[in-house]
Amino acid sequence: MSKYILRRALGLIPTMFIIVTICFFFIRLAPGGPFSSEKKIDPQILKNIEAKYHLDEPLVVQYVRYLGNVVRGDLGPSYKYKDYDVNFYIGKSLPKSLLLGSLALFFAVIMGMGAGMLSSLRQNTWVDYLSMSVAVIGISVPLFVIGPVFMYIFAIKLDILPTSGWIDEQGLKALIIPVFSLSLAYFATVARLSRASFLEALRSDYVRTARAKGLKASVIMFKHVLKGASLPVVSYLGPAFSGIITGSIVIEQIFRIPGLGRHFVQSAFNRDYTMIMGTVIVYSLILVLMNFLVDVIYGYLDPRISYK
Amino acid sequence: MANSITNKTVKNESVVLNEFDQPVKGVSLWQDAWKRLKKNKMAMFGLLMIIFYALISLSAPLLPIYSYKQQVLGHQFLPPSTRPAGELMYERQDYLLRAMANKEGRELNAVEIERLSDLRDSITTEKKILLSGEEILVHERVYIFGTDSLGRDVLARIIYGGQVSILIGLVGALASVFIGVVLGALSGYIGGTFDSLMMRFVDIMYSLPYMLLVIIFMAVFGRAIGNLFFALAIVSWLTVARVVRGQIMSLKNSEYVEAARSSGAGTARIVFLHLIPNTAGVIIVYTTLRVPSFIMLEAFLSFLGLGVQAPFASWGVLIQDGVYAMTTYSWLLWFPATAMTLFLFSMNFLGDGLRDALDPQSKNKL
Repeated sequence: MSKYILRRALGLIPTMFIIVTICFFFIRLAPGGPFSSEKKIDPQILKNIEAKYHLDEPLVVQYVRYLGNVVRGDLGPSYKYKDYDVNFYIGKSLPKSLLLGSLALFFAVIMGMGAGMLSSLRQNTWVDYLSMSVAVIGISVPLFVIGPVFMYIFAIKLDILPTSGWIDEQGLKALIIPVFSLSLAYFATVARLSRASFLEALRSDYVRTARAKGLKASVIMFKHVLKGASLPVVSYLGPAFSGIITGSIVIEQIFRIPGLGRHFVQSAFNRDYTMIMGTVIVYSLILVLMNFLVDVIYGYLDPRISYK
Repeated sequence: MANSITNKTVKNESVVLNEFDQPVKGVSLWQDAWKRLKKNKMAMFGLLMIIFYALISLSAPLLPIYSYKQQVLGHQFLPPSTRPAGELMYERQDYLLRAMANKEGRELNAVEIERLSDLRDSITTEKKILLSGEEILVHERVYIFGTDSLGRDVLARIIYGGQVSILIGLVGALASVFIGVVLGALSGYIGGTFDSLMMRFVDIMYSLPYMLLVIIFMAVFGRAIGNLFFALAIVSWLTVARVVRGQIMSLKNSEYVEAARSSGAGTARIVFLHLIPNTAGVIIVYTTLRVPSFIMLEAFLSFLGLGVQAPFASWGVLIQDGVYAMTTYSWLLWFPATAMTLFLFSMNFLGDGLRDALDPQSKNKL
């Protein structure tokens, strides 16, 4: 097991390397440099700026320099805000996005599995129909409709929650609508997945055996059914992570949360290349680590997977 | 037992029986699928809605609506109503003047009454030449979905925005399915090194946060519709390629492929004439399910300001406008959001229905 984990962990390095490389050269393909603007800049000044950021060197040298800096954890200076570097911005905004994303994911998984379990136990009753209808809505209605609709209902009409802002100004109330809207789509998918797999597990032979042994219903549910039925949910976590990352970009935009997603969109508008790359590297790192974690959990839950 | 079966077959040579001894009529895949689709109420509802949207979008120039970029001064932020714009304008002006006068604790003074009556005159007489060159009594216009911050008809914006969104959905889905089918089919049929290289590439692309790449692409190469298509198409063929590859691999050893190969057909002929048509069901289902996801992607980008640019609109752009105006002018959010959600619902229902209907496992079972 530990050997398998180690091998998978080492496999992360080439993936990250490829991502950094693709990003670096992809951005260099862009027409016009980061400092070309409508204003005419004196050629000498432009030259000085480029020298300051090492943009006058050959591409390969720049690439090697950037790679070395990234390995040391330095994502470089921001091209747009000259007094700060990318690390500063990411350090400031990442915790907010992480909190938002992990709360949404936690909510989606716990509530989704709860709803799926209830629906499977009370199949074809109003509980089942209610949670599955909510699930259909959650899957079909896009996030940028759900967010504003919740905002309209709870913040504008009922006026019980703030429309925007972060914990430091609004308190924990500021989290409720963003987290809830962000998690709805994933709640829906988890609920549908786990309903199907709970139904399957409830009819399986090992559960019948457990019942025949006279185990308590709660023990069967949480010890036997849950473990088998959580497999599809665990394998869905990978896509859910990347979905929540993209989703948090929209949510941060709607609710004006100064997180990483907002910085990313802003830097895309500003053509702040180091900032764009830094953000993408951080996002990819989170994604790749999460997928690694999912693989490990999956291997732990499913004894049929051999660690070869 | 064996005897009786033979007897039955001899008696009725044209009748085929399924495993429940029910007579089965020879139907093509498509007849069969259509029969099953018709039984699925949600899918049929989806199909009807889609036909409705398609008709509206195609006939947009013939409908009695303004162009999506026609602005009318004075018609800003009129609420949705079935009454003419002039009446609403007059009421609003009247209300505002009275409110101001009330605040100062007086009745309307002469100047204000004069202004109101001037407004009433101009409402009945003022003409305007539209962008289309036609001259109309502008204040007799009816905006059933209201107007936006520049006095543009929200209904017209939704219809023309829908054209853009649906077009992006269709073209994007077709492009990504086309790339995915060709690469997936070749990869599955040829196999070997080509296949493992392809699949490695697909794995790496999967591990990239592709939405971020699309955002970078739009930011770096400029926000043109062509770039949007390109960016979406290059990241979205992966799943189709995988699915088609799997299908082809399961089909490539079947007898008809063997027969084609023994009569001297080349790789391209076998792949494109024999194998791909036999995966048509999967391909159609995927195309249907990709359309809404493309519309969502486009709307997502437009929502961030990286998609379709003014004066064009798409549902994403309209929803974004709506979000910023919803505190006071909530109709700017409700109508586009409803229009888009309804379409996405319909597409998803139709896609699910098609998947069930085209599933060969359910053939001849209703």
